[in-house]
Amino acid sequence: MAVADQARTQASVSRKPALAWEGVTYRLVSVLLMIAVWQAISLLVSPKYVPGPMSTVMAVAKHAASGALWGHFLATIVRMVSSFALAMIVGVAAGILMGLFRRGEQMLDLWVMVGLTIPGLCYVIVSFLWLGLNDRAAILAISWTTFPSIAINIWQGVKAIDQRLVDMARVFRASRWRRTVRVVLPQVLPYLMAATRFGLGVVWKVTVLVELLGRSDGIGYMLNYSFQMFNMADVFAWTLSFTVFMVIIELGILKPLERKLFRWRPEISG
Amino acid sequence: MATITIDIISKLFRSRAYPEGLLSLDNIRFGVADREFVCLVGPSGCGKSTVLNLIGGLDRNYTGRIEIDSRPLSHDGSHPVRVGYVFQEPRLLPWLTVRKNIYFALESIGVPHSEWRQRTETWLEKVGLAGFGDSHPHELSGGMQQRSAIARAFAVDPEILLMDEPFSGLDELTARSMRQQILELWDTTRKTVLFVTHNSFEASYLADRILVMSPRPGRLRQEMKVELPRPRNYESSQLFEFSVQVTRLLTHGGNGM
Ligand SMILES: Nc1ncnc2c1ncn2[C@@H]1O[C@H](COP(=O)(O)OP(=O)(O)OP(=O)(O)O)[C@@H](O)[C@H]1O
Ligand SMILES: [Mg+2]
Repeated sequence: MAVADQARTQASVSRKPALAWEGVTYRLVSVLLMIAVWQAISLLVSPKYVPGPMSTVMAVAKHAASGALWGHFLATIVRMVSSFALAMIVGVAAGILMGLFRRGEQMLDLWVMVGLTIPGLCYVIVSFLWLGLNDRAAILAISWTTFPSIAINIWQGVKAIDQRLVDMARVFRASRWRRTVRVVLPQVLPYLMAATRFGLGVVWKVTVLVELLGRSDGIGYMLNYSFQMFNMADVFAWTLSFTVFMVIIELGILKPLERKLFRWRPEISG
Repeated sequence: MATITIDIISKLFRSRAYPEGLLSLDNIRFGVADREFVCLVGPSGCGKSTVLNLIGGLDRNYTGRIEIDSRPLSHDGSHPVRVGYVFQEPRLLPWLTVRKNIYFALESIGVPHSEWRQRTETWLEKVGLAGFGDSHPHELSGGMQQRSAIARAFAVDPEILLMDEPFSGLDELTARSMRQQILELWDTTRKTVLFVTHNSFEASYLADRILVMSPRPGRLRQEMKVELPRPRNYESSQLFEFSVQVTRLLTHGGNGM
């Protein structure tokens, strides 16, 4: 048995890094390929309409040097973080109510569905009309658009809780707190993770829209500004820089977190 | 010291298919004496797991009364004594290793930290899982998972053991050794055991007393004292004959009465 055990341990030890390394290689190849395609299209169409990777990076560097990049980034991130936090609070609360109580489900599910259906643009316009062209209105509109998709994920997560495991914990006299933290939370965690991903995606898209329509700073505003000036390189530059930022959050925070939290799972991340 | 007194008048399950409620237990009355080994046998769906669930305090939606040591189950279903429960399924937390699963139960029930390791290793070894403490449940076979759950139930050093067909997923050889283990444990520590099975041979081998239930709605059809001397022998013809009697009761209803 000891020998078999050792073999098992070794197998898993040698497999994991190989997989990770493989992942990096293929990712790198795919990024390089994408850049090549981009360059090719730029050359084929015309660098005026499709600025190539080089001129886009130059434009990013220019804004970074002038300091504009950081100011607008900050404005956008502050809006995103506060709206996301708000949407998370409301969405998680609604999701739990819907998941735990049938009444909650009957009261809320229609509105969550409606909330998902109405385009973010409507919330943005209404919010600006009611509250004026300020950040309060911006944050309200963004979080309002975002909370339904968070609520839906949490709702599913709460419904998927395996009550039999909770019962097991109760038989062994685990306190309510312990059952919640050690048995329920780990089961909901994957859904919380999905809600975060979904939420961040929506928040980002609506933030840009809000900034375009009613703010005078932030990435969305600068995108619109560059568009008005017909400065394609800048349009690409703002898009690229923020995309890179989001990818860093995904690969630097969400993915590792997920790997750490769900390491026990049989081969989900590869 | 732990006795169980069960007096269930009725247990209904309400569901979409049966809005008025489906009667699943009807007048179940029995007691389990301190240190007694009682087997509950009955056909599938007769309510054996339901009885265990009620005693475990997991379902309080019934009419009747259940007492442990002459005290009714408290309002929140918690027990005055330590209970070890082996469910019909393993019910291991999938994100924890086998060892951490046992630690979880030990910590929940209030065993001092210093004893965790010793108790866990002892029980893993007794169920034949030495060396698998660091495996996750999904890395084990169904039978190995069930044995982990058995180790967990024993590790908390329960005063009452509730076991729901714990060996039905094991091969006969492993099941035999587990049965022996249980009897050994019961012999040395004298727990009060309520053991559910549909295997009349198993019941005859293990029990002081066998309660036979009728098909749904579950009623107590017959009570049989197993007067065979211990230690019992698998090859003994008395044991075999006794188990045939139990089987007859199970399959042909009231013939034996
Ligand atoms: N959660 C539930 N909702 C509705 N009905 C249920 C529920 N659980 C059990 N029942 C009903 O109660 C009856 C008894 O179920 P139980 O699980 O106690 O049977 P069992 O004797 O343990 O059977 P088996 O040997 O197959 O495990 C079943 O016939 C089933 O219809
Ligand atoms: Mg059952």
